[in-house]
Amino acid sequence: MTHRSDDRRLTRWPFAALVVLSFAQSAWAAPPLQDVIDNEVHAAWQREKITPSAPSSDAEFLRRVSLDIVGVIPNYDETVAFLADPSPDKRRQLIDRLLDDPRYAKHMAELWDVLLFTRNPPGSEADKREGLQNWLRQRFAENTPYDKLVRELLKAEGNSIEQGPPLYFVQYRQRPEDMTEAVTQTFLGVQLQCARCHNHPFEPWTQQDFYGMAAFLARLQIVSAGKAENQNKLMVAEKSTGDILFTGSVKDDKPGKKGDPVAPKFLIGDPLVEPPLPEGFKEVAKFEENKPPQPPVFSRKDQLAEWITRADNPYFARATANRLWAQFLGRGLAHPVDNLSDANKPSHPELLATLARELVEHQFDLKWFIRELCNSQTYQLSSAGPESDPLPRWFQQARVRPLSAEELIDSWQVATGFESSLKPDAKKKDGRFSPIDGGYMIRFFGQPNTGTGDFQGGLHEHLFLSNGPVSQLIVSSPGSLFDSILKSTAPWNERLERLFVSLLSRAPTDEERQKFSEFFSADEKMNPDRLRDAIWALMTCSEFRFNH
Amino acid sequence: MIDHLSRRTLLKGTLATSAGGVVMNWGDLFHGPASVAAEASPTKKRCILLWMNGGASQFETLDLKPGARTGGTFRPISTNVAGAQICELMPKIAQQMDKLAVIRSMRTSEVDHPGGIYLMHTGYRPTANVRFPEFGAIIAKYNGREATDLPNFIKVFSQADAGAGFLGPKYQPFGIGPEGSLPPFSASSQSPEVESRRYQLRSFLEETYGKVHRAETSKMHREAYEASRRLQGVRKVFDIDTEWAKHSELYGDSVFGRRCLLARRLIEEGVSFVEVSQSSYDSHADNAVWHKALVPPMEHAWAGLLVDLHQRGMLDSTLVVWMGEIGRTPNINNRAGRDHYVRSWSTALAGGGIKGGQVYGESDATGVDVKDNPVTEGDFFATIYSALGIDPKKENFAGVRPIPLAPFGSKVVAELLGS
Repeated sequence: MTHRSDDRRLTRWPFAALVVLSFAQSAWAAPPLQDVIDNEVHAAWQREKITPSAPSSDAEFLRRVSLDIVGVIPNYDETVAFLADPSPDKRRQLIDRLLDDPRYAKHMAELWDVLLFTRNPPGSEADKREGLQNWLRQRFAENTPYDKLVRELLKAEGNSIEQGPPLYFVQYRQRPEDMTEAVTQTFLGVQLQCARCHNHPFEPWTQQDFYGMAAFLARLQIVSAGKAENQNKLMVAEKSTGDILFTGSVKDDKPGKKGDPVAPKFLIGDPLVEPPLPEGFKEVAKFEENKPPQPPVFSRKDQLAEWITRADNPYFARATANRLWAQFLGRGLAHPVDNLSDANKPSHPELLATLARELVEHQFDLKWFIRELCNSQTYQLSSAGPESDPLPRWFQQARVRPLSAEELIDSWQVATGFESSLKPDAKKKDGRFSPIDGGYMIRFFGQPNTGTGDFQGGLHEHLFLSNGPVSQLIVSSPGSLFDSILKSTAPWNERLERLFVSLLSRAPTDEERQKFSEFFSADEKMNPDRLRDAIWALMTCSEFRFNH
Repeated sequence: MIDHLSRRTLLKGTLATSAGGVVMNWGDLFHGPASVAAEASPTKKRCILLWMNGGASQFETLDLKPGARTGGTFRPISTNVAGAQICELMPKIAQQMDKLAVIRSMRTSEVDHPGGIYLMHTGYRPTANVRFPEFGAIIAKYNGREATDLPNFIKVFSQADAGAGFLGPKYQPFGIGPEGSLPPFSASSQSPEVESRRYQLRSFLEETYGKVHRAETSKMHREAYEASRRLQGVRKVFDIDTEWAKHSELYGDSVFGRRCLLARRLIEEGVSFVEVSQSSYDSHADNAVWHKALVPPMEHAWAGLLVDLHQRGMLDSTLVVWMGEIGRTPNINNRAGRDHYVRSWSTALAGGGIKGGQVYGESDATGVDVKDNPVTEGDFFATIYSALGIDPKKENFAGVRPIPLAPFGSKVVAELLGS
């Protein structure tokens, strides 16, 4: 192993002041955006008199960027190869490799699936979402421009199983108010929910604004398109008539009050200009099942989808840039990520403006954007340091976030070699979280999962880790971590390195070597129970539980 | 570097929210333990919820209408408070009436079970985009002890599932089964020898990692691990068998009696909130028969609990709430049942912070409507929080939306508070 010296850097943060100098003298031939990022973040450090932490070690970087881009830790061989690679731009090469990896699309799809549906979608029709998940995965694999992806999602063509997108609206069960809250918050970073019941207390939004937006979605109807694999195929149809009714402030609400129709109006801008209905137009009484629904004379929903994703929409690109930034850097420049209001000023306003502009100029190319973020020196700082905030406001130290339920099971499987012991179709048969019950994984690790750093300690998580089925992952089949260490005749040091690199993607420190040697040498031979203990401890410790 | 204190101030200034999102966040996560403890009342009252699942009938418990067409079959009896009468099915509670504040003017807004269970556990109606916490989680947060071997929010046979909502996993309830079984994975699956080996090794790893990684998330992770271990040391509190023989007479020999004794033991150990539930009051048919079967063992246990708490000097610091999710209709249907009703119904409070020996509010002669002093769900929860020394206007954040503990506009019923 050649990377031992590398890990010593972890403890070097008191010397971080030197890094500031090296930043200024950096001779990287870098594309502009990543330089802009580093310059802006650096300027804020100077202004705030902040000392950043040291650059990450190779091992630290490898684990972090693997989890962030492909959602899983690197395996033993990948780690050894990366640490031994002498090429000066191996980090850049790694980022490119990970973005081309099929697991990138899978990981992104899983993040967006939870973002769009939460762990408990409001409507039970959305409890199973394979069609939509496939659709997302394919979009990310093809690197579909993000604006196009959102447009397709909101236009909701096809059905919920073969195409997927309709499921997003279907979960709200024809409640345009709920759809409006979700759409504006998720894609525009505008939170209108207060204005649903009363004019917003400290933002400019009025109830008329809210219902003006809801009017775009008020004509949607959910129509069945038959069944596939015991699931309802659902379509989103749209009528040509019908209005949302607004009854005034909730506190003045009286039973039986009917309310007035509100015309569709874009949030900041003009009312929608709608062509008149053809003379003698007759509305569909009820959409026929199992047939593609007759399109409306003029689709309000499609108008909304177009307006939201326009390059000159002042919210869309900013909200997107901010969300992606937070996914990789831990906290939004405006934080929380989905609130871009005036009351929630960004920490680095110039930077956010640049990110949004560049995203538009690059046609919402997600891979390009992520590549710039991950190649920045800001992203590549160490998480070791004195800052106790897991999401430092000035990005002076790398953020610490919990692994999601999906990242955790995949990483456990890679670390223990469980994955290689699986038969090819086992995952499909036993579910996403095999061999652990998915219900438990979601219950104990599924939340929080905003793709950012929210974490709270919880008693139940540890009862599960200590007494639950986690040990089923410590398999002893040939080629597994357990088996290879138990059978190995190599010196202790090598076996310990295998253990640590497999689980923590780094070599053990001298102190750890000593402690673990003592632990194992309590018995003459390698004691299988003690090996299990050690693997368990490394699987459940903070260093594994978090991406840092 | 921003120091600890000013970082908190800073976060407060920027809306004091952590990450928002379509996925809800964790309330005011950054108002860490220290500041919450400082805000909490020094008395730190505790709370036991006696939950009548399905909705007990007010006409067969606390608000009788003798002679009215809606009155039903049971007769009223006198209590140890002059002028206050309750159902003849409740002779033991009648002798504890001086400790009770009965509310006969509940008027709430969710008439079905799931909505009602949610409403009467959170104070809020269910909505698509906010996950409200149960009041047990709120009480655990504001009145719970930080360093404790037991979880602060424990439920026995509860049907509610809102849990900690946006307050996050730290305040998740610890759910006990109907016969007293602990939640999955509570029992150590390792021999003490293995457990202690693993503990040593893991503590070593945490310590070395924590030396250079100072983010407080790993500290929280470490502390929760310690808490899960401490639980193993106090599990015997859940085993009531040894104490049951002595108390079965006081609580009555029923499963609900056993659950109430467990609640008292847990409160005595410092747990801040315990819910115990009894099913099944949803008497759409044969209402009188069901109540005749359910009420006597329930009221025996309830009275026993009040006496036990009183004798141990714990009643002043323990609020005992009695309610279901709904009341029942004045009309008796053609199957001799009563259906769901929330326009006028009854609940009761006793103990910590409550002025006992009173009936608050009144329903009209047939029990169809509230005659005076209506109490909404919001008023009810505002009063509970006040009785426990928690300001009901205190806010937490779901995303950027500030959510007061009791819904905006709720009124504390001052007449109910005292002692």
